[in-house]
Amino acid sequence: MTKSLILDHPFGASYAKQLGVAPWSGNLPGPKVEDWRFTPLRPLAKIPFAPAAADVDVDAIPRNVPTVPGAARIVLVNGLYRKDLSDKALGKGIALSQVRVQAKQGSSLVALNAAYAPESVAVHVSGAAAKIIHIVSIGAAGAQPTALHPRITITAETGASVTLVESHVGLPGQAYFSNPVASISVGEGASVRRYVSVDEDSEAFHLATSLVTVAAGGTFEAFHLGLGGALTRQEIRVVLTGENATVKLNGAYALGGQSHHDFTTVMDHAVPNCVSSQVFKGVVDGQSRGVYQGRIHVARDAQKTDARQLHKALFLSRGPQIDCKPELEIYADDVQCAHGATTGEIDPDHMFYLEARGIDPDTARALLVEGFLADAVNEISVEPVRDLFGNAIGTWLKTRGAA
Amino acid sequence: MSLLEIKNLHASVAGKEILKGITLTLEPGEVHAIMGPNGTGKSTLSNVIAGREGYEVTKGEVYLDGKDVLAMEADERARAGIFLAFQYPVEIPGVTTSAFLKTALNAKRRHEGKPEIDAMEFLKLVKAKTEKLGMPYDMIKRALNVGFSGGEKKRAEVLQMTMLEPRVAILDETDSGLDIDALRVVSEGVNSLRAPERAFLVITHYQRLLDYIVPDHVHVMAHGRIVESGGKDLALRLEAEGYAKYINAAA
Ligand SMILES: Nc1ncnc2c1ncn2[C@@H]1O[C@H](COP(=O)(O)OP(=O)(O)OP(=O)(O)O)[C@@H](O)[C@H]1O
Ligand SMILES: [Mg+2]
Repeated sequence: MTKSLILDHPFGASYAKQLGVAPWSGNLPGPKVEDWRFTPLRPLAKIPFAPAAADVDVDAIPRNVPTVPGAARIVLVNGLYRKDLSDKALGKGIALSQVRVQAKQGSSLVALNAAYAPESVAVHVSGAAAKIIHIVSIGAAGAQPTALHPRITITAETGASVTLVESHVGLPGQAYFSNPVASISVGEGASVRRYVSVDEDSEAFHLATSLVTVAAGGTFEAFHLGLGGALTRQEIRVVLTGENATVKLNGAYALGGQSHHDFTTVMDHAVPNCVSSQVFKGVVDGQSRGVYQGRIHVARDAQKTDARQLHKALFLSRGPQIDCKPELEIYADDVQCAHGATTGEIDPDHMFYLEARGIDPDTARALLVEGFLADAVNEISVEPVRDLFGNAIGTWLKTRGAA
Repeated sequence: MSLLEIKNLHASVAGKEILKGITLTLEPGEVHAIMGPNGTGKSTLSNVIAGREGYEVTKGEVYLDGKDVLAMEADERARAGIFLAFQYPVEIPGVTTSAFLKTALNAKRRHEGKPEIDAMEFLKLVKAKTEKLGMPYDMIKRALNVGFSGGEKKRAEVLQMTMLEPRVAILDETDSGLDIDALRVVSEGVNSLRAPERAFLVITHYQRLLDYIVPDHVHVMAHGRIVESGGKDLALRLEAEGYAKYINAAA
């Protein structure tokens, strides 16, 4: 009937009954919803997902979870905090708790998460955190397709500082749908670095929403990597709520096969004198599809805003598709805003230069692709994490990138 | 056996014949210089030897140590020992010079059945080579050729050559864009590689380079052909007389 909603989905009353909670009253956004035009959810809605089991045995952390040197690990399996798999000592400055999720209003996916998420894993940061916090979310489908709703809350107090790494992975098997929501509050003068890697199983769906607020003088630096999965969307909504806040939001994706990856960002400059920059880069191969939607909103009062956004995609073959939609909504007059978007292919002159030095074509291509992604990856200011993400891309190119 | 043998090579670009029968033989240990007017086909010759796409060889043969070069892909030719120092080295953003050098060096070592070079050994090697060429060592941390000045790019080409130690090095106007001191340093770099088992093909417009890198043979190329060959004195004569007589002869 209407294409703005998908009413026929598996997350209704019977889903709620299995969890013993009140059902989600919402519906999935359909193809007529502007924000979801490029990322169709009908294939997801057709799969009879059941709630993921709470008590799965996980013998080993999946191999594509990197070891972050010196980090303390917090492990979630099917959205639930797993004490048995997590580090006990999180180091100075970090307090971990479980909090009830408030069913606030939000997008349908945030509401879906709120309806079915177990308690939220809440990380409270005061002062300078001694260790990097590594949050690992594992999707473990059983004998049937399952859905999980991880919820993470990060609160950095005034002047606090922390580096977070997040790995979203899954165990191979049945299709699963991860619906994570992260709420991040960067306090006054606080500094939060968050590095997210989504490297789900090739059958997996992953629709993540990050809700970030940055208070006066705060700094938020994020990098999001998208490597696998059948369908992934990383939606990141940032509100700069206090003056002199700085946000660096960067990301990269590498897609092959039938993968679909969507970066949707909303950078909301609500107050004056803030700076935001975004660099997103993607390489696409096979029949994959990459989406970047970036909205910058500058409120009437937000004078002296400096907001930049860049999306660049590299085609490794003719099969993939890229959809890019930058949107600038600028209501203040004294601002600097810039956006750019390009797509291209590997330059044959570059290939020849490398080949003329004895480098075989596959290796040459991999070097050039890594080089293409480098200016996004190099924005990661924490060196060991930068190396890990660089390696993850390198591995992807060697093993999954159709050469 | 000759090191590099070019026999009656014809090649066209975009349907236009540029090389019209080049025959040239480089014996081990020799340095050959090619001079000639702009647009004559000197870079075309070097690109055809290196295996660049877009050049159609319509006739002729090229052999390296008796092996059919034209049957090899560009990367195979390089691993077999052909090195082209480009007239216009391209800038490759995002790829650091050091990552590139290491990959190239390891490709060669693997080809020779040697293990990959270890990180420390590599750094030591680069340090020694950059020092010799008067290049700041930090340069290898920068993206390949990106933002390098004209002269820096040429030095970087010679750095690559001294690291890869090819059998045959083709230097396509490596001297253009170099200042007087750089010209000397780069020439010393080249001369230090001169060896009984190696040969050089030096393309230049300036006799001055040949004062430093003294050639065994000098060839004049015009309109896609080698129109005269001689000893190093030929370069001096060209400097005095120019190319008028070759151009008019063909016209
Ligand atoms: N891709 C191309 N398409 C069309 N013409 C080309 C192409 N590449 C080379 N040519 C032409 O081939 C001819 C030979 O060019 P080449 O670069 O080999 O000359 P050269 O002798 O190296 O000149 P210079 O001394 O100026 O470097 C020129 O007329 C040039 O315009
Ligand atoms: Mg030339």
